Amino acid sequence: MTVSSSRRRFTASAPSWLFAAPALAVYALVVLYPAVSGVVYAFTDWSGIGQDMSFVGLANFGTLLGDDQAMGSIGNTLLLTVATVAVQNGVGLLLALGVHAKLKSRALLRVIFFAPVVVSPVMVAFLWKYIYNPDPSAGLNGLLGLHVDWLGDPSVALWSIAGMVVWQYAGYSMVIFLAGLEGVPRELHEAAMIDGAGTLQRFRYVTWPLLAPAVTINLMLSTIGGLKLFDQVFAATNGGPGYATETLSTVLYKQAFVFGKFGYSTAVALVLALFVAAVSLVQVYYLRRREVTA
Amino acid sequence: MTGLLHDARVSRGQFLRMMGGLAVAATATACSTRPETTATTGGGATTELKFIGVADQKAPMDELVGAYQKAKPAVRITASYAPTDQVQTSLRTQLGAGNAPDLHVVYPGNGSAMSMAQIAEAGLLADLSAQPWAATVPAGFRPAFQLDGKTYIYSAGSSVIGAVYNKKVFDKAGIDAPPTTWNEFLAACDKLKKAGVVPIALGAQTPWVTQLITYALVPSTVYAKDPTFDDKQLAGQATFAGSGWQDAMEMYLELQKRGYFNDNPNGTTFEQQTSMVAGGKAGMAVQVSAVLPDFRKAAASPDDLSMFPVPGADDAGSVWIPAGVVVGLGAAAKGRNVEEAKAFIDFLGKQENINAWAKAISAIPLTQDDSSTIDPAVESFLPFTKDRAVPFMDQRWPNAEVQPVHFAVVQELLAGESTIDEALKKMDEAYRK
Repeated sequence: MTVSSSRRRFTASAPSWLFAAPALAVYALVVLYPAVSGVVYAFTDWSGIGQDMSFVGLANFGTLLGDDQAMGSIGNTLLLTVATVAVQNGVGLLLALGVHAKLKSRALLRVIFFAPVVVSPVMVAFLWKYIYNPDPSAGLNGLLGLHVDWLGDPSVALWSIAGMVVWQYAGYSMVIFLAGLEGVPRELHEAAMIDGAGTLQRFRYVTWPLLAPAVTINLMLSTIGGLKLFDQVFAATNGGPGYATETLSTVLYKQAFVFGKFGYSTAVALVLALFVAAVSLVQVYYLRRREVTA
Repeated sequence: MTGLLHDARVSRGQFLRMMGGLAVAATATACSTRPETTATTGGGATTELKFIGVADQKAPMDELVGAYQKAKPAVRITASYAPTDQVQTSLRTQLGAGNAPDLHVVYPGNGSAMSMAQIAEAGLLADLSAQPWAATVPAGFRPAFQLDGKTYIYSAGSSVIGAVYNKKVFDKAGIDAPPTTWNEFLAACDKLKKAGVVPIALGAQTPWVTQLITYALVPSTVYAKDPTFDDKQLAGQATFAGSGWQDAMEMYLELQKRGYFNDNPNGTTFEQQTSMVAGGKAGMAVQVSAVLPDFRKAAASPDDLSMFPVPGADDAGSVWIPAGVVVGLGAAAKGRNVEEAKAFIDFLGKQENINAWAKAISAIPLTQDDSSTIDPAVESFLPFTKDRAVPFMDQRWPNAEVQPVHFAVVQELLAGESTIDEALKKMDEAYRK
């Protein structure tokens, strides 16, 4: 049987994007088009309702620079992101190493650790509001014998939300690390053992370098998730007490839907989107450089 | 099964065309709107009206929608309810996109993104001025109902802010009668504290709850001394700082300093506050009368609970109270069924329906006749409503930013993270935006 060269080329390269075309078309129509067309509003003073709208140039971006609330929320957003990225991935890695070991109950444990991921973030926040009950005899306080006002004390509330996010998404990081661990060839471990490497040395010199792609994905996804965190904050504290847990996402929500400043809110959203994109690109660029293959 | 797939005679081109077709079909389905608002059932044309409201409106609306459909079977009203935040998000999006429901919740006056003034200014509310009930709106309430002399919102009456108290707990603490001066109020709190209960339950984690104590006190500390304060503030001749707002905030914090609130008010929610008073763990909570049904539902017996005006002055004669028009509804100006929607509001404006709505939420009916009933719990407020009551403060604020700033600064004050001067400065800055 002979196959023409053009047909072979088609078979070798084209399907990867042609198969994706229908999905890409839908994505472009329902995500890209509205997002790009929404950018225009960032340069207007539209209230979100009615026809009155005038172009204000870059005024909204100038307002953002002088907006104490928005600038304060950037600090909160970065703190939340750093805390969740570090702890979520650390816990996720430990869980993955734990359930990768030859345990009888590892399938059950994997399901249990992953279960919170499938729950809606708003539901998780409501659930944790009960766990974070400030009453010393209830919830986490009752369990640990503490007197902490988890969501009401401005110096604690942000970290309480971080704890909630880690609880929900550590299982997600675990699954990605687990996939990475499954891809580490057993022969390399055996070779290292023959060379006299201990458990820690094998992790340091065999497992960790080969986990690099999983680390890249996990760090990128958790960073993006942290930077645009909204649901948990909105449902648990609504940015309070005061402005202690206000994030960029809650600020842009309030500007649009509570204060009726849709134009300004879109400007904040645009800055957030560009910031997330820039951080992700830089992160991926540096992390990909340390990836190796077995 | 896999063999079947391998043998299927579908070329790659056919497959891609098929997938593309499916995507287009799915998109077309997703983008399509319901073709008609008029459906045919049982041989008669039915007009469907859609209403979106807040949870507080469910009880009266369910009752009155049922009554309307009996009177007018050709109209079917589909109502949905959600908490204020969610309604605000979805409704503003629909209003912005031009597909608002025929009838929707509207907040009286100005001061919030879903308030009558803000939506009517955008030309999105139908004019209700020609309806008979609109002519009977008392003069003091007109700013809440009207913009430029035209009525855009229906509301069944007014609610008051005061102390919802547990009568059994007050009896046990030896409090014979509700306090009528600030000193008596402090003395009552002291008795409750000595009796081992929390004098005032405060659920300040729920943002709107934070404002109620200041709202209860400001009528006495600001408006009793200067009833024209709002006008002066709008004209730039008065500010929060340096006014009676300062006194109200100091009184608020005095209650905290004396240990009259529950521990950790910033971590306590409205629901927890309700349960503390209803269950007898706390003596009272400063609340709006519209939530009285929630407290009664949580109590062993509804009769355990009643209300009294919070006395914000040392002289009983100088005590004023906040009495605001309750959340109402309006008709979309650009809907497909404007006339039918207005007809439903006209129906709500009949005296018996005003009475029914007001009864369901323990409100004082907008207008009253012999069949009007007033919840016994709010009867002690009636002597004030004639000339010693002011609308809820936010209803006359010029933008939607002041109220959320008020919520936030109260939480900061309760947390000890701010001073009263800083708090009032932030509110003044928001007012001027």
